[in-house]
Amino acid sequence: MLKSLHPFIAVALAIGVVTGAHAQAAVQALPAAAAATAPAAAASAPAAAASASLDTRIQDAKSDVIKLNRDLLVLEEELLFPANTQVALFVSMDVGKLFELDSVQIKLDDKLVANYLYTPAEVKALHRGGVQRVYIGNLRAGEHELVATFTGGGPHFRDYKRGATVKFDKGTDAKYIELRIKDSAAKLQPEFDVRVWQ
Amino acid sequence: MALRVGVHPVLRHLLGAAVAAACVVSAAGNAVAAEVTNAPPLQPIRDPHYGDTLFHFYQDHYFTSITTLMTSQHFNRVSQHADEAELLRGGMLLSYGQHKEAGEIFTALLDKGAAPSVRDRAWFYLAKIRYQRGFMTEAEDAIGRVKDQLPPELEEERGLLHANLLMARSDFAGASGILKAMTAGRKDANPASPYVRFNLGVALIRAGDIEGGSALLDELGRAPAPDEELRSLRDKANVALGYAALQDDKPETARSFLERVRLTSLHANKALLGFGWAALAMKQPRLALVPWGELWQRDISDAAVLEARIAVPFAYAEVGAFGQSLTQYNEALAVFERETTKLDQSIAAIRSGKLVDGLMQRNPGDQMGWFWSIKELPEMPHGSHLSQVLAQHDFQEAFKNLRDLRFLQNNLAEWQDKLGVFDDMLANRRKAYAERLPQIRARAGETGLDAQQKRRDGLADELARAEAAADGEAFADVRERDLQQRLARVQAILQSTAASSEPDIVSARERAARVAGALTWQLAQAQAARVWQAKKGLREVDEQLAQARARDAALAQAQTDEPARFDAFGQRIAALDPTLKALLPRVVALGAEQQQAVQDIAVAELTRQKERLASYTLQARFAVAQLYDRANRPLRLNLPNAGAEPTPTPDEASRAIKQ
Repeated sequence: MLKSLHPFIAVALAIGVVTGAHAQAAVQALPAAAAATAPAAAASAPAAAASASLDTRIQDAKSDVIKLNRDLLVLEEELLFPANTQVALFVSMDVGKLFELDSVQIKLDDKLVANYLYTPAEVKALHRGGVQRVYIGNLRAGEHELVATFTGGGPHFRDYKRGATVKFDKGTDAKYIELRIKDSAAKLQPEFDVRVWQ
Repeated sequence: MALRVGVHPVLRHLLGAAVAAACVVSAAGNAVAAEVTNAPPLQPIRDPHYGDTLFHFYQDHYFTSITTLMTSQHFNRVSQHADEAELLRGGMLLSYGQHKEAGEIFTALLDKGAAPSVRDRAWFYLAKIRYQRGFMTEAEDAIGRVKDQLPPELEEERGLLHANLLMARSDFAGASGILKAMTAGRKDANPASPYVRFNLGVALIRAGDIEGGSALLDELGRAPAPDEELRSLRDKANVALGYAALQDDKPETARSFLERVRLTSLHANKALLGFGWAALAMKQPRLALVPWGELWQRDISDAAVLEARIAVPFAYAEVGAFGQSLTQYNEALAVFERETTKLDQSIAAIRSGKLVDGLMQRNPGDQMGWFWSIKELPEMPHGSHLSQVLAQHDFQEAFKNLRDLRFLQNNLAEWQDKLGVFDDMLANRRKAYAERLPQIRARAGETGLDAQQKRRDGLADELARAEAAADGEAFADVRERDLQQRLARVQAILQSTAASSEPDIVSARERAARVAGALTWQLAQAQAARVWQAKKGLREVDEQLAQARARDAALAQAQTDEPARFDAFGQRIAALDPTLKALLPRVVALGAEQQQAVQDIAVAELTRQKERLASYTLQARFAVAQLYDRANRPLRLNLPNAGAEPTPTPDEASRAIKQ
């Protein structure tokens, strides 16, 4: 038995194994016939060397593009939304089981600045702890008013529309305001509040 | 017996194919991405911009997530999550295949003495990177440094990786020890992952515990599997066990393993083929024709189906149906020839770029990423060839790289447009400041801030004097001033009649005196409030004057600062522009090179298929020749002076075979 199983096992070990976490990818990647699988160290040496070189150059290029993107995004933000006038609005969800978010409408000083319709993937990302920057713009120093209106499905599959209002002072630093959707366990209703970060 | 000689290489090849198919693919780069994705939000969000990074990350928008994170890091907006953010960035870069940079990030985190949970994950990811790059000793060192702060969802991966590393240096006992620990204490209701058990089976056998390992794999091969992923693993285990039993000359056992494989499975073709070979090994060629007959009808691009094309006539020959055998061999030869022509056409189409262009067109995406997978196949002359090509790990990885490069190419092109817009924007602002600011300042000058200040100072002096003199009249309002004037007029008239002692005049004089007294009294009473009001008004004037001066100063400052700021922006744009211009052609060139590499991988796979066809063609021709040879022998035996007679024609041989 040992002798008979040995070749199979040897190849199995040479190729390696996966965990359940990536098994779907593993199944998808499974060749239908005799397969070359990673880490394919057994590939022919010259071919491997050539592709490694190309792979390295691609890695370097990707890295350079990512860094360049960072620099360009920094430039764009400083140019379009300087810190002294910048205001950024965020949407987050804490639990959010009592509310199925469809859209949010935001008015700043009675002027509509954002009207956002959410995809299921975005709602899921919010549920997992993501915070969406829904708007970035400029405001002059002084007092301002923000009105956010959330629409979606509330408890018992009812359409739900609620607003949250906040007055805030804009100074000479950037202002970050978070619109939060929370569950009120006591009222069994969703709650909407506003947090001014700075 | 001569045909048997031809069978063995086939079987050997099949064993190789089955063995390869029985192996679970290794933990490549996508594995790490999966782990990173599974990472939960570890703590409440203390910086909204870190949450914004997670928002993109959870949607698999890694490129946006990385670049916005790096931007926020630049502005120091994620300081409350500094280490977590770096760990996340390292994980995402790793998912893009950026091993070098990801490694540097994890190493830096370790060097700076991050928190234990961060350290454990950093060591874990470093171990993964090193394993993927083939640095086994270093990987083992890294995995050994992971302590007890790893998230539970990574624990299994950690154990599997550690076991793999031990097996890589032939420490099978050590590997099976780790895997056994992972399965120990798990109840039947909550058993260890099938992958752990599969690997444990492998490790046990390699460590010498053949019976234990085989039993584990056998158990896995019979276990219920709730989803396709696990059903596929179960099929894989059964195919492996089946071929191993075949190799061990245990065809009955082999059949019992192979018959567990589903007919719709990815591994069904190999199982059917092995099932037939097992029947043949049991001297039951008719039984072999059943699975091979099923295989015969399947897609010819599969290696097992190709094998079946010559295995079926072989079985016919084994049962003595030489005529059918010859017909089937000839048909197989025709099929092989047609297939070779089709493969040539597919290769030509791939070389002309149709495959890559078609895949790109049909699989658009707005992000580069490891998780991306081919969803729609392009139209090609012979689509069935694509499944073999696209299933290859190498091809998928190479194509992902190509797709990433195309994404980056578009990204850079968009930035090039944007930079142009920024330049125009700067030019407009420069112009606006140059033209409009002096006008605004001139208008401000016209209103005379200094004159206003002098006026304010005069009023302040007046107020001070009136307050010091307790002069209530100075604070009289319009109505009171009107009354004062009227009273003065009345008093002037009364003055002109000072000598008169007429009662009416005397009475009027007395009334005027009373009114004057009342007015003076009222003014004196209201003075304190009016002084306060006046001072308040003066303070407001001061504030407005200060604001006006601040605005004027800001404008004056802007007049000098803004051009400098615009110049600084202009210089930054000018500095970034050449980088952008240099990167774009570099990415385009790499894309072309990568496209060639992708096509080479695809062509190499099809070439392998052609070679396989050539090998089968050779075997089929050899078998046909042997059939003719066999047909010739009885003919010769029936003829007198057989040795002196000429060889029968193929038609005669054919007729003899049919008889």
